[in-house]
Parts: sequence; structure tokens; C-alpha cells
Amino acid sequence: MIDPARFDQARDRIAAAGFTPEIQSKIALVLSAAKSGNLMFHANLQWMPNLGVVQQFIISQSARELEAVTLLARTTHWASDPKLAMEANRIVAPLVAAWSQIMLPPGPMLNPQAAYRGISLGHAQLARIRLLAVIPENADPFDPFVVALGRIEQENGRMLQTQIRLLKSVGEDIPLAEREALVEQDQELVDAVFSEFLAWLAAP
Amino acid sequence: MPTVQFGHQQVHYELAGEPGRPVITFLNGLTQNANLWKSYAEYFVPRGYRVLAYDMLGQGRSSKPIIDIPLADHADMLARLLDELKIDKTHLASISFGGIIALDFAIRHGKRQHSLVAMSTFAELTPQLEFLGAVMTQGLTDVGLPYLQSMLYPMNMSSAWIAANRARIPAMKRAGYIGNDGYAMQNLMESFVAFKPLTPDLHKIKVPTLIMNGEFDFFTPRECHEVIRSKIANSRLVIVQHAYHAFTLEMPAVTMRQIEVFLDQVSTGNWKGDQSVWIANDDPTAAEPWLPIAGDWMRAVQVAAPAIVPAARRPPRTTAKTSVKVPAKTAVAAAGKTATRKKTS
Repeated sequence: MIDPARFDQARDRIAAAGFTPEIQSKIALVLSAAKSGNLMFHANLQWMPNLGVVQQFIISQSARELEAVTLLARTTHWASDPKLAMEANRIVAPLVAAWSQIMLPPGPMLNPQAAYRGISLGHAQLARIRLLAVIPENADPFDPFVVALGRIEQENGRMLQTQIRLLKSVGEDIPLAEREALVEQDQELVDAVFSEFLAWLAAP
Repeated sequence: MPTVQFGHQQVHYELAGEPGRPVITFLNGLTQNANLWKSYAEYFVPRGYRVLAYDMLGQGRSSKPIIDIPLADHADMLARLLDELKIDKTHLASISFGGIIALDFAIRHGKRQHSLVAMSTFAELTPQLEFLGAVMTQGLTDVGLPYLQSMLYPMNMSSAWIAANRARIPAMKRAGYIGNDGYAMQNLMESFVAFKPLTPDLHKIKVPTLIMNGEFDFFTPRECHEVIRSKIANSRLVIVQHAYHAFTLEMPAVTMRQIEVFLDQVSTGNWKGDQSVWIANDDPTAAEPWLPIAGDWMRAVQVAAPAIVPAARRPPRTTAKTSVKVPAKTAVAAAGKTATRKKTS
């Protein structure tokens, strides 16, 4: 579990400084990197044969993740400091590495284990990267960046249903405890990244 | 907060009071956590008890299984937690979702209990509860966890409480949002899909059982508690005046007094489990904690006999005959009494 104090510290920092270009850039860089991994995965997986009704939810998730990344790119007041991009890359590197591994040839479309891992990592990202709690009460609710964060988080909850249903139904021949352990590894990975990201947000 | 590890899962708990004293274990409802029983520990520990509260799997700081969590696992996990803490027997006090777990525990692990307090809970899904549960799950999946949180305040608390705490609610919601996970909440709610009614097994509960229901609880209304009362021979139902679903939070002083009186009666051998129905005294300092109930406790209104118009003031009869039949007075109304419900067993 992520220490609740991390959320408080990030929120307090934003309350004091406001959504500066630096803070907005930090959020947009890390969030976009994570979402790009899930987007890449779903853009590939949607071509998998015999998906049945699941296919339309995968197509939808691919489109919505693209929308989220576009929203962030367009609503963010970008800071020009290149060190922010370097630090964001460092923080998010474990996620980028995990997605890269999933996308290795032959790709998730032809590799069921990679497909399962992608669903699991997507679940962890959509469930655990939550920024509503760092938006301070004094933030302008009509600020486009704040509105985008709210919309993205609400959409995360809806998209997550695809991963929830798939994780419950795929690999039922494997004991539940084993599947839980596999999926929990990805949650721990995401928690570690997100926790460090919150500390970075809280830093002056 | 101490933690016990069970294989891949960990359970966070709080245990207050000296070893060797009788233990009261508290089980909370959905979106709650062990910390909400802190004031209960502060009340009961100085009165000679040891108080155990813990986050059930899927809640608070305990593990939140990602794929699934069968409902029966919760009662089994409680048994394992008691083993780990070397607690042979406990009093069990529970609310809402925790109440179902406590009933299940009492049915399957009853030998490990001194007594049971079941508050704002149910043993089977009534059609109303089933539909409410479906709507809550839909709110969670289609709109999100903040929506479910917003929905639960008016379902759980009175207007007076909401008005008094309006300014604090956003901070409380934020803390709940950080501490809970939508998928974990969804797993807990969806575990009811495979829920088999506990009603056929309620008769197996032999320990003294205090059932408590808020007067205005429309989430788990009287009919849910009536099922439990009618099937557990060693029980009593106490209705908490003016209370809604989450009266443990809204009216802690009244609730603590009721539990304290009950536990005293159990420990001194003065408990009478006769399936009778009582009203909790609004005043937790009053000498008489339980007041007798008048009328039908299943009704929200009490029907009195119709006023009889004096014969002298009746309008004169017309000679024309009518074919309209006047319904006969009901037996209750004719007797001039308020209806009462017979005990069912």
C-alpha cells in the first residue's frame, strides 16, 4: 500500500505552488509514459483472432488511452527544463522496461503469457495510479489540466473493467493463489513507481 | 499497526488491553477500516475488556486480493487470526458487511465465540437488497469509487449528521479514496453473486445474540433483522431510535452502552435470549437501557382503531337501497388495539 502521507505531501506542495508548468509537466510526462505502454499493448492485442466480445473493449481501451495521452499533451502548460524529462524517464523506467518486455517479438497477439502480463500490468496502472487525491481543494475546477486529470481518472475506472473481467476468466486452470501472486508482482512494480513519483511531485 | 502474514496475504490489526481479559472483536462494513473502532477500544478497555479490530481482506491496510476473494474466506481468516493471536474465544461485534461475516463465523466457528452482536446486517439478500447491491456495483464500475462514496453517505447517515459534518465530508472522502481500491471494493461486492443465504443455518447459532437495527435504516431495514431474530433462539432484537444504517459511527455512545449492557448480562449469566424486541434508550446514561416496544415493530406507523361517529350525529338514512358492501371491521380495529406481531420461530 502506498503511504497516504505521500498523497498529502504532493497535494500540499501543489496547494502551495499551484499547478505550475513544472508540476503539470511532471504529471504529464509520467502519466503519458505509463499510458503509452498500455496503449501500445492494446493497439496490438486488438488484432488477436477469436476475441469475440472482448475485442470491442480492447479497441475502446486503445482509443481511450490515446485520448488520455492527447488530452495531457494538449492541456499541459509545458516547462522547458529538460531535466524534468530526464527525471521522469528515470522514475518511469521500470514500467517502460516491463511494457517493452511484453511487446517483444512475437508480441502479445501471438504470445499468451505476454498477453496475460499486459492485462495484469494494465490493471495495476489503471487501478493504482490515482491523482485525484493530489488535486488541492483550492485548485480551479475549470482549469483544463485539472478537468483532464479528473476525466482521465474516471475513465481509468471504467477501462479497468476489461482487465478485471479478463483476469477473473483467463487462466482459470491455474490455482487462484498462483494467479494472485503473478498479478500482485505488477501491482508492487506500479506502486513503487507511483510512490517515487508522488515524492518527486512533493519536492520543491 | 501490527500485521499477521498468512501465506501470500497479510492482515493488519489493532489489539488493545491486557492479555487474559475477555476479548471483543469488532468487524466493520464496506469502505470502513479497523481505525473506526478506536473509540470503542477506548471505551471497553478501561471496563476490563481486550479489544481486537482488524482490516478485513480487501480493505484498509490488509491485502487486497486482485482477482477474487470468496465470501467464506473472511470468516476463515478471522479464525486464523484468532489462532495467531492465541485468542481461544471472543465476543464478536459486527456491522453491515462485517455482520454477514460474523453470522457466517458464528455458524461455522461458533465454539470460538462467547456472544454475537449483529448490527445493520442481513442473512439473505432480499429483492430490495439485491437490486440495491446491483445499483451500487454499477455505480462503482460505470462512474467510479468517488460516486460510490458519495452514494453511501446519505444511505448510511442521517440528515442531521450530514448537515453537521458537511464541511468535513470532502476530507473524509479523500481519505477513503486513498485507503480503498475500487477493484477491491468491487471484488467484495461481487462476492455476493455466489452468496448462499445463511438463513437455513442460523438456527445453529447458539451463543447469546444481540441484534441491533436502526429505526430508519432503509439500507438493511427491519425485515432483514427480523429474519435473524426469528431464526436464532438465543437472541434479542434492539431497535436504535432515530438511527440509520451506520449508527456505530453516528451514535457511538448509545451503541457502546447497548453492547456493554449485553456483555455484562452474558458474563454474569443474566442474559435472556427469548427473541423479544426492545428499543434502545436514547439516553446512554439512563438507568433503563432497554425500553419495551409498543405495537408492531415491523411497521413504520402504528394503526389505531378508527374513530366511531356517534349515532346521534349520523346523517339520516335514505330509503333507497344500495348494492355497495361496507367492508367488515378488521379484528384488530374492532378490538380497538394496535396490531402486534407474534414471535415466529
